[in-house]
Amino acid sequence: MRILLGLLIFFGSWLILSMMLSQSLILPTPMETFSALVEILRDSTTYSAMLSTIAKGFMILGLIIAVGLPVGFVMGLSDKIYELLRPTVMIIQSVPVISWLALVIFMWGIGWKGPVLIGFLSLLPISIFTIVEGVRSIDRDLLEMVKVYRVPKIKVFKYVYIGSLIPFIKAVVDVSVGNVWKTVLVTEFLCGDRGLGVMISWARQYVDVPRIYAVTLMAVGLGIGTERIAKKLMSLTTRRWGM
Amino acid sequence: MILKVEGLVKSFGNFEVIHHWNLTVEEGEKVVLLGPSGCGKTTFLRIIAGLEKPTEGKIEIGFERLGFVFQEPRLIPWKTVRDNLRLIEEDEGKIKTILELVKLNGFEDHFPSQISGGMKQRLNLARAMVVDPDFMILDEPFTSLDIKVKMEIMEDLMEIWEKRRFTMLMVTHDVKEAVYMGDRILILSKIPSKILREIRINFIRRDITNRDFLGMESRILRFMLE
Repeated sequence: MRILLGLLIFFGSWLILSMMLSQSLILPTPMETFSALVEILRDSTTYSAMLSTIAKGFMILGLIIAVGLPVGFVMGLSDKIYELLRPTVMIIQSVPVISWLALVIFMWGIGWKGPVLIGFLSLLPISIFTIVEGVRSIDRDLLEMVKVYRVPKIKVFKYVYIGSLIPFIKAVVDVSVGNVWKTVLVTEFLCGDRGLGVMISWARQYVDVPRIYAVTLMAVGLGIGTERIAKKLMSLTTRRWGM
Repeated sequence: MILKVEGLVKSFGNFEVIHHWNLTVEEGEKVVLLGPSGCGKTTFLRIIAGLEKPTEGKIEIGFERLGFVFQEPRLIPWKTVRDNLRLIEEDEGKIKTILELVKLNGFEDHFPSQISGGMKQRLNLARAMVVDPDFMILDEPFTSLDIKVKMEIMEDLMEIWEKRRFTMLMVTHDVKEAVYMGDRILILSKIPSKILREIRINFIRRDITNRDFLGMESRILRFMLE
């Protein structure tokens, strides 16, 4: 009920503001936007564009988990490796998206690889540094206890490290899921060949503002939906650790 | 002889904590190190457990399986009581026996946050027992417990010891605990700590209101306050 009320307030404010402005080029009314949305949803190519964006998003999330977590783990364990890799990670973090964009266009031209690489590089540093902090905050008393009992390393990893890192892995997933769609849409807009970002780019060229808002609504829905699914999956996965 | 320490010195930088300790522990003995807070008792246990290196001196170790009851339980919060033991020992039969021994049967699937402080300390004890130790270290294990729970666990521990007869080395600053648990009490000075005196306990101690018990307690207290 509260959610419905919240939505009503949002769309009501939007309607009032758009009527006050009375300029569809800046802020179309919700009705104009929904009419554009219905039109978009009737077009079968919309679904392939949406699937393309979803695929890129999941590829980025997969890469973040496959690369960010182990690299962060190793950097957290060893100060030497941390000092060796930190400059690279910090440089990756500081490079502007536009520079990556120029690079990927020269390397691969327009296509899916650019958005995936740029999305991955944008989210990688924060995931690495989050896991580093996680490893460093592991309870030293527990590590001493397993040392006293000479617990095999694989068991220590499974019982102590993974369990301690779960909140940090959750944070990485939360931040990545929250940001991945924004990043994918921007990079698709700039160097993609398919996807919701490309749809926004086309709509911009045709100065079809309601269509831009309609695609944006789809992206927002995608973001909220993925966030919910990710939270559900994380809670199912972490239940076995008693969290 | 299960443990022999000769000329042990431990310093942290220029700060000497342990000053030339010599002691021998025989198999099956219950030795208690009694001293003020910060006199290096825990440091000594950490040296025996291999967590710290001595600055000087020689340590001969004759035990194979070490059980360590930590001052704070050091349990894995996201693992159940059973899984906390599974980390150390996978034999389900052994885990069941130990949980019965420390009176934690029925709580196997509880998480540490769901059990009381006394039960956590029992689990800490169970973890030390599950390795079937021939040498057991106890680092002020009853400090955070109220007197009733403390007495219950101490009584249970003595019963377990009667059955298993492992060697025990305990440190505490509580005279009552020392008299109750030890066959031999080594009284330590402030830092740099030395072993000041050795006291053998030869009476039956199950009753802490017993005249011999109270007499010994006050004798030790007087000595420590002098």
